Amino acid sequence: MANKTLLVAQREFLENVRTKTFWVSIFIVPLLIAAMTGAGALLNKFKQVQRYAVVDLGKDDLRQRAEREFRQGDLSALFKSMSDLKANPELAQLAQTVGPQASGAEPTGEQMLAVYEWYAKQPPEVLARIADLQTSQKFHYVPLAELGLDKQENDVEALRKSLDERVQKGDLFAYVVLGADPVHTLDGFEYISNNLTDVSLRSSYEGALTRIVQKERIRDAQISPKVAKHIQQQVEFAKKQISKTGAREEVKRENEIDKWAPVGFVYFLFIAIMSITSLLLTNTVEEKSNRIIEVLLSSVSPGQLMHGKILGIAGTGLTIVLTWVAFSLLSAYIVPGLMGARGEMLSMIFAALKNSNYLIAFVFYFLAGDLLYAAILVALGSVCNSLKEAQNLMQPVMMTLFIPLVAMVFVTQEPNGLVAKVLSFIPLFTPFTMMNRAGGPPEVWEYVATSILLVVSIWIAFRAAGKIFRIGVLMTGNPPKLREILTWLREK
Amino acid sequence: MDHALTLRSVTKRFGSFTAVDALSLEVPQGCIYGFLGQNGAGKTTTIRMVMSIFHPDSGQISVLGHSDAQQVKDRLGYLPEEKGLYKKMKTAEIVAYFGKLKGMDSKTANLKARALLTRYGLGDWLDKKCEAMSKGMGQKVQVLGSIIHEPELVILDEPFSGLDPVNRDTMRDIILDMKNQGRTVIFSTHGMEQAEQICDYVMMIHKSKLQFAGTLTAVKKGRDLGIQLDYDGDGRALQQLPGAKHVNDHGKSAEIFLQSGQDPQQALRWLVDHVTVKRFDYREPSLHEVFVRTVEEANAKLALAGGER
Repeated sequence: MANKTLLVAQREFLENVRTKTFWVSIFIVPLLIAAMTGAGALLNKFKQVQRYAVVDLGKDDLRQRAEREFRQGDLSALFKSMSDLKANPELAQLAQTVGPQASGAEPTGEQMLAVYEWYAKQPPEVLARIADLQTSQKFHYVPLAELGLDKQENDVEALRKSLDERVQKGDLFAYVVLGADPVHTLDGFEYISNNLTDVSLRSSYEGALTRIVQKERIRDAQISPKVAKHIQQQVEFAKKQISKTGAREEVKRENEIDKWAPVGFVYFLFIAIMSITSLLLTNTVEEKSNRIIEVLLSSVSPGQLMHGKILGIAGTGLTIVLTWVAFSLLSAYIVPGLMGARGEMLSMIFAALKNSNYLIAFVFYFLAGDLLYAAILVALGSVCNSLKEAQNLMQPVMMTLFIPLVAMVFVTQEPNGLVAKVLSFIPLFTPFTMMNRAGGPPEVWEYVATSILLVVSIWIAFRAAGKIFRIGVLMTGNPPKLREILTWLREK
Repeated sequence: MDHALTLRSVTKRFGSFTAVDALSLEVPQGCIYGFLGQNGAGKTTTIRMVMSIFHPDSGQISVLGHSDAQQVKDRLGYLPEEKGLYKKMKTAEIVAYFGKLKGMDSKTANLKARALLTRYGLGDWLDKKCEAMSKGMGQKVQVLGSIIHEPELVILDEPFSGLDPVNRDTMRDIILDMKNQGRTVIFSTHGMEQAEQICDYVMMIHKSKLQFAGTLTAVKKGRDLGIQLDYDGDGRALQQLPGAKHVNDHGKSAEIFLQSGQDPQQALRWLVDHVTVKRFDYREPSLHEVFVRTVEEANAKLALAGGER
């Protein structure tokens, strides 16, 4: 004869596993990750190409040089994309001359120089045709001839008026005016567009122009390029940290990502705990409203029923969480290999996921938080008769949860600060905050103390919930006031 | 243990409202016992106290020889008034689940569930979800769920409510089968015909107090014999019957009570002249009549005692 609590738990678990929501939750993680990494790029692809024209008031063909400089970012992209090299014979040839590292690794300074020189020789129109260059896809230079305005080239005012019209009509995204004498003055540089929110064209072009103008001024001042480079060098700190053994060691990008990873875990912790416990709530209310509770109580005690439900639903949650963990471990080992160079960022993220401290903490805090909130919500559910009433009672719970959520970034930045420490010792927040601080990491005594506090609160919550459940579950009519519930707690 | 259930002067109050007042009752083993009473009379409260869902304010209850039903939970079957099922579970599954909760092992429960459902006409629905059932079918599933574990004492709160005639017959068969297996069945009902058909004993509560309890014969004893008449014709004519004390006219049938000393043969002759007599029976009053009469008498007593509570 099986334990009755386990029977109830088993039924809950099986019923949940059969729902669509369960399977959706399991797959939400890979979907979310894929969406987050792909969404930005995907959305950008849908942007319209931004057509722009250039009015060059100077005599030195600043435009040509600016164009090339502007498109310079494409070079690195070129280098990293093998398929482009194969598609374009000129590039392939170039790649060969530049060296075998053309695929995947960061190009050296000399390689960049060589490619830039080749690049400098190509007219912009040719470069614009090379597929998959980022700027080409977004920004499209339209020569005045194509607009039928080359005749007006000498009458600047008329030309500008025509261009103004095109901008207003939407035919042109923007047009740029290059000043007459950039070496001596930066007056006269204008950017005309009616789109004030998408400033990528404006800022990239500005940056390119700045670099060109600087080079011109350096040449004009007869400073050697070498000296100029020396002057323009940026100070860049070599980032270091102190390891456990007291040694000074380099801070790598992976280390930084590793410290931010807890944010992701906290977020998923929220999702997991919230969905599981709200499932418990609706489930309890449903059993009350479809009146099956009374029959159940003729076979099991309220305690067995409550514990069985919590167990069954916690089990469901745990299954989901463990599949997430398994999935992330799996992808951590497989995906970086698959994605090659492009997957660099992704593989660093997955490396952080592999961190067993995080994973163990995640599972532990999920269980603890789940049990604590499950007790609270099952007690709430037992006094409500409809989902609507239940949702009203949920409001204060949701508000309380806002606090660790809002503090998420802050705690990650100061894992051992005052706010973090205070929040850690409030049992309702402990799972989230301690998970959040995992990058700190907090000291062992804090782990121990907060865990003890958490376990004690869970025990108290279960006792209180049991008393409330016992009585509330057979009640009909309006949900009892808080005062009434408190009297129930005093009863044996 | 001779009686399946004993109540001794059981009282239950909710605040200032007395739901059950000093109720004493004995339910012998192996019988079918009907709980009768108007809505709100105290039947469901009594049943809940028997099941230890509520606790009496005073008095004792003995279920299968134990003072606390919780101790013999697994030997009891219970179907509450407001019935519910897990919509998403399949019928065989949920009946087996209830059996397992009562201590049956998994295999037996599964087999028995399927056998029971098939036996009572739900063989095609074994693997269908409960939400697919009509009300009558659902109610059958619920009853079967409450008896799968072969309990010694079964308590059904309004098992016939909302059932069509065929389903009512099936429900009746289920109850009779249980009796034939030696189990005790208690059920509450508003259907006097059902009660009359199958109950060995009946009891009636009216406004928290016991009005009568015992075999059908005992309960009807001392009451006037009545004419059970099936007829065609104008019912109003019946009211003119000389010597009639009162007439319950149901439209196509009627129950007529004569004043003492009146000869039923005379009544028959008069009736034949005034309506088309399809059936004439001179016998004990129906349970329906007893019920209605009892309510009348009880209310009169209360009125005399100085009005409603």
